[in-house]
Amino acid sequence: MLETTRPKLVGASVKRVEDPRLLTGQGAYTDDFRPNGMLHVGLVRSVHPFARIVHINTAEAKRMPGVIGIFTAADIDGAAKPILATSKMKEYRAVPLPILAKDTVHHVGEAVVAVVATSRYLAEDALRKVEIDYEPLAACTDPEEATRPSAPLVHPSLGSNIALAREFVRGDVPAAMAAAQVRVKGRFRFFRKAALALESRSYLAEFNGGRRELTLHTSTQVPGIVRESLAELLDLPGNSVRVIAPDVGGGFGAKTSVYPEEILVCVLARRLGKPVKYTSDRLEDLSSTSQAFDEVIDAELGVAADGTLLALSADVTGDVGAYSVYPWTAAIEPVQVVSFLPGPYRLANYLGKVRGVITPKVPLGPYRGVGRPVSTFVMERLIDMAAVKLGIDPVAMRLKNLVREDEFPYKVASGIVWDRSAFIECLDAACQKADYAALRTMQHAARAAGRWIGIGIASYAELTGIGSKIPAAPGMPVNTGTETATIRIDATGAVTAIFGVASHGQGLETTLAQIVADDLGVRMEDIRIIQGDTAGRAYVTGTYASRSTVLAGGAAKLAAGAVREKVMLAASHLMEAAVEDLDASNGIIFVRGTDRRMTFKELARKVYVEFSRLPKELQQELEATRLYDPVVGTTSSASHIAMVEVDPISYQVHVLRYVVAEDCGRVVNPMIVEGQVHGGVAQGIGAALLEEVVYSEDGQLMTGSLMDYVLPSATGIPMMDVLHVEAESPSTLGGFRGMGEGGTIGAPAAIANAVSDALSPLGIEINELPATPERIFRLVEQASKQKR
Amino acid sequence: MSESAHIRVTVNGSPIECDVEPRMLLGDFLRTTLALTGTHFGCEHGVCGACTVIVNGDSTRSCLMFAVQADGGTVETVESLGTIDALHPLQEAFRTHHALQCGYCTPGMLMTALDLIRKRPLANDAEIRDGLSGNLCRCTGYQNIVIAVREAAKVIRASNL
Amino acid sequence: MKPPPFKYLAARTLDEAIDALACSDGEAKVLAGGQSLVPMLNFRLLEPAWLVDINRIPGLDGIQDAAGSLHIGALTRHKTTENAPLIADAFPIVTAAMSHVAHFGVRNRGTIGGSLAHADPAAELPMLAMLLDASITTQSGKGKRTIAAKDFFRGSLATALEPTEILTAVTLPKLPPATGWSFEEISRRPGDFAVAAVAVTITQQGGRCTDARIALAGVGATPIRFPQAERTLIGQTIDAAMANAAAAIVRDQCEPQSDLQGSADYRRHLVGHLVARGIDVAAGARS
Repeated sequence: MLETTRPKLVGASVKRVEDPRLLTGQGAYTDDFRPNGMLHVGLVRSVHPFARIVHINTAEAKRMPGVIGIFTAADIDGAAKPILATSKMKEYRAVPLPILAKDTVHHVGEAVVAVVATSRYLAEDALRKVEIDYEPLAACTDPEEATRPSAPLVHPSLGSNIALAREFVRGDVPAAMAAAQVRVKGRFRFFRKAALALESRSYLAEFNGGRRELTLHTSTQVPGIVRESLAELLDLPGNSVRVIAPDVGGGFGAKTSVYPEEILVCVLARRLGKPVKYTSDRLEDLSSTSQAFDEVIDAELGVAADGTLLALSADVTGDVGAYSVYPWTAAIEPVQVVSFLPGPYRLANYLGKVRGVITPKVPLGPYRGVGRPVSTFVMERLIDMAAVKLGIDPVAMRLKNLVREDEFPYKVASGIVWDRSAFIECLDAACQKADYAALRTMQHAARAAGRWIGIGIASYAELTGIGSKIPAAPGMPVNTGTETATIRIDATGAVTAIFGVASHGQGLETTLAQIVADDLGVRMEDIRIIQGDTAGRAYVTGTYASRSTVLAGGAAKLAAGAVREKVMLAASHLMEAAVEDLDASNGIIFVRGTDRRMTFKELARKVYVEFSRLPKELQQELEATRLYDPVVGTTSSASHIAMVEVDPISYQVHVLRYVVAEDCGRVVNPMIVEGQVHGGVAQGIGAALLEEVVYSEDGQLMTGSLMDYVLPSATGIPMMDVLHVEAESPSTLGGFRGMGEGGTIGAPAAIANAVSDALSPLGIEINELPATPERIFRLVEQASKQKR
Repeated sequence: MSESAHIRVTVNGSPIECDVEPRMLLGDFLRTTLALTGTHFGCEHGVCGACTVIVNGDSTRSCLMFAVQADGGTVETVESLGTIDALHPLQEAFRTHHALQCGYCTPGMLMTALDLIRKRPLANDAEIRDGLSGNLCRCTGYQNIVIAVREAAKVIRASNL
Repeated sequence: MKPPPFKYLAARTLDEAIDALACSDGEAKVLAGGQSLVPMLNFRLLEPAWLVDINRIPGLDGIQDAAGSLHIGALTRHKTTENAPLIADAFPIVTAAMSHVAHFGVRNRGTIGGSLAHADPAAELPMLAMLLDASITTQSGKGKRTIAAKDFFRGSLATALEPTEILTAVTLPKLPPATGWSFEEISRRPGDFAVAAVAVTITQQGGRCTDARIALAGVGATPIRFPQAERTLIGQTIDAAMANAAAAIVRDQCEPQSDLQGSADYRRHLVGHLVARGIDVAAGARS
């Protein structure tokens, strides 16, 4: 048989390479590693939101069985610099994040004392014997109050509780607002949320004193960023630090920051000369892993009588917690709310203001969608509110204002530029799939029967695959816009492709292999993808911000192209054929239209082992390293349609139907893309209906277990329909767009609109999420009082 | 009454005999003493189901049982199912239907699903969802897990005929 | 989150377990299914000196039909209760409620005695014990005791059990013929503890109510009955107005707490609706 066609793996639902090991219990997560002599860390964490540490007594704890050492901030003073997230943003105040709290604790759950013992059981026995005297300090837990001049300062050295402030202005909002026939406004609130990866954070450090080599296994999404941090904070050269993210059990953004415990285990391993592991338990995870949302948004939208959007204004106050996470800073979540608020719509006049306020709570950090679940919730609510007021169908309202094909690239009022993306096509496709007209008919019939059924739509756009020109977080001084791939064919003909990304559930070992296999002409099983490991890499970061398929995929294409060129040159010589006549597929190089063929294995042997027989110009390794920079990145977009029913007694919301149509450009693996959407939507439904981190007024964490922090379970998530609308991206290699976050961006808005629609006969608007039964109960009570 | 207990337990078909501290959770015993790290802890307070194993034929949270309580009994963990090269039909279905992403909840999900299929082989989707509702997954949105369990049940039923 | 150290006894007989409790100076906890006790240990909310494991005591489990009542051994697992034909025949309300008791895996191990002794005010089984006028049998060095359910639950996670006593069985007197029932529970997710749960039985003869029982869980510090509301139904022909009136009494008399799962007002709202509906269903579904 002649290989004249090349099977395409890109675009096929290839079964995942990762699965056999993960399904048979042979995955290796950080906590699964147990080197000889390993010690365990237990942490005494603050029970106070804001207090001065008066005295620490560790005498009794030190005498407990199995205890190797007990460490306070004073004991590790000088061993590592504190973590400092700086920013180029003008109005931003950086505050160092200590490895252990020094004189003051700034949130419940902040680590104060480290107990090192021979087992986690013994460490927990001992940490209960550590006595800490605190002097509680007054603090504001409410961000509004915390901005008043009289408010006590969480970090007096900053001179203010306002960590950051920023403003976006375009056009003339007051004039446009005045000219608007219809104005809708509201105070919107999205309460605090946890990312809650099922694997909680875990770190294992090993320090080889003889070689001065530090190896950290960490449940991070960003091994590269962690390596740069460790080198800097511990004053070690980068070639002495290796950071490995092995199998990682989900991240959703919360594992993209450098954590104090990550530095701590390294300090302790160096100090004690033994491997040191820290694995957080769920209570610690809920009281120390970065959290999300927690913003109040006062927003107003001005609309012309025909539904055209005229002006938008928003004032956002974000509660950023006690510290600024590294490297993203406390700005990442609240600033992205105002950056993305105008959404995928044509809008000439915009005024967006944002403040991030420090309170004694767990720091806010990146979470799947960053800012956009909140901005989309607000904007999509405003659009529906305006549509109701104007008597325009919400679909028609959106179609009227979505950026049209001929208007790309479109510069948003906040400065973001939308690349050509299928905004309108996605909404059309979602409506068609859901049979929107039929849903409306069904709704009317149900409403006539007294049922509270509603339909909600959300359209949004996001920047993905961001390149070097735009920082992934506003003002962040770290380059997150490049990715480097090294592809190597070794002497056995096997292919190794090395990346800086760090898969934690996305299946990158599969999708990147699909891309490399297609471009090189080899089989999936010939390829080993290495990722999540900084060994020998010049500069890498990790997996976050819907970047990995775009950036690593692009780098893979560049490096694979370069290696293929070398392969074809060698083959041309060995097979005595012109390069133009050669092709490769399934691990075989062949001369088109003939039966002359050679396997990659044969070619590799001739190149490496029979090296001296090759002409000088072909005496080279079959290897290439290429950096890819998509410069500005690209745009992904989607429309979601949800149909919900609100139980008129329990006020629980049941999601009856869910459709997503999205444009993520060329799809590498449809099965994986759909899975990402399913999971993203499930998290978005959780955010919209269930999940909430609750602090008491005095700053105590009320949701310290999975009994109290309520995740969606199998009974609460519907079957979903996911449609791909493949508009090839004009600006990325391969036409890929990122798609890891979108589900979580669209779902809260779609659910909020659907619940509002369901309750519209009562005149109820859902402007606070999560829309728990308790909140809906209060809204219904209020509405019935007003009626009376 | 003693501070260390001697136990005999059959784990994945192999007899094990050793001393354990009474407070050692079954999950820790499996993970540390026996190095069967396929069983994962997700909450250690009985909510997430990630640590589910099968004890004496019943799916059980290994964070809510002490190893000493397994004395004289049998324990099946994810390692007892198929191998990398010959997956169990349930594992195969999870792979085919993309019922796992990060894989962390997967071993507990598989062991619960196995118990469910053994006891209620004809469960419909709603019953499967109910049966799995004590196992939290943060990646998949459950859709593909439900499909995989439903399809695996068919295969397992057919192979038993 | 690891449990504190404790000494452990796998008791082989009830006497051995009772002796151990007697010797432990009140520092022992009885370990049955462990589905509530072990999380509390893992959080170190409890640090008992001893755990007395009763799982290996023969004869402590099983369901027996005894003249006019069902006798359920303390170690009977939830899965057994859920699937037992004896229960389904005599107490279909219990069978229906069992599917609300946590989840599949927890029901494999959790026990009826453990659930009653733990006495979570939002749990189903303590509420059913109240509804069904269960009597709870305990044993200690001093002998056997039988405690009526209404005297057993003393507060949130607090019971009439002495530290040296073991709950050995619960006895459910059978319901009169022609008793209809209803069980409704609202929880954040299926399987979670109740935000509010309502169980109702209505016995009718010749179109008139001869016995009515209403019990709540998740509302207040203990599962609770509402004799005044129940009395308003007895002797009456039950219609929607009667149901609403009784529900109003329950709603006014209940003393719900506010917590993360819901405010007192929300719970009161639920109670009003669920009790009215529960009475309707129980009265209409008479056998």
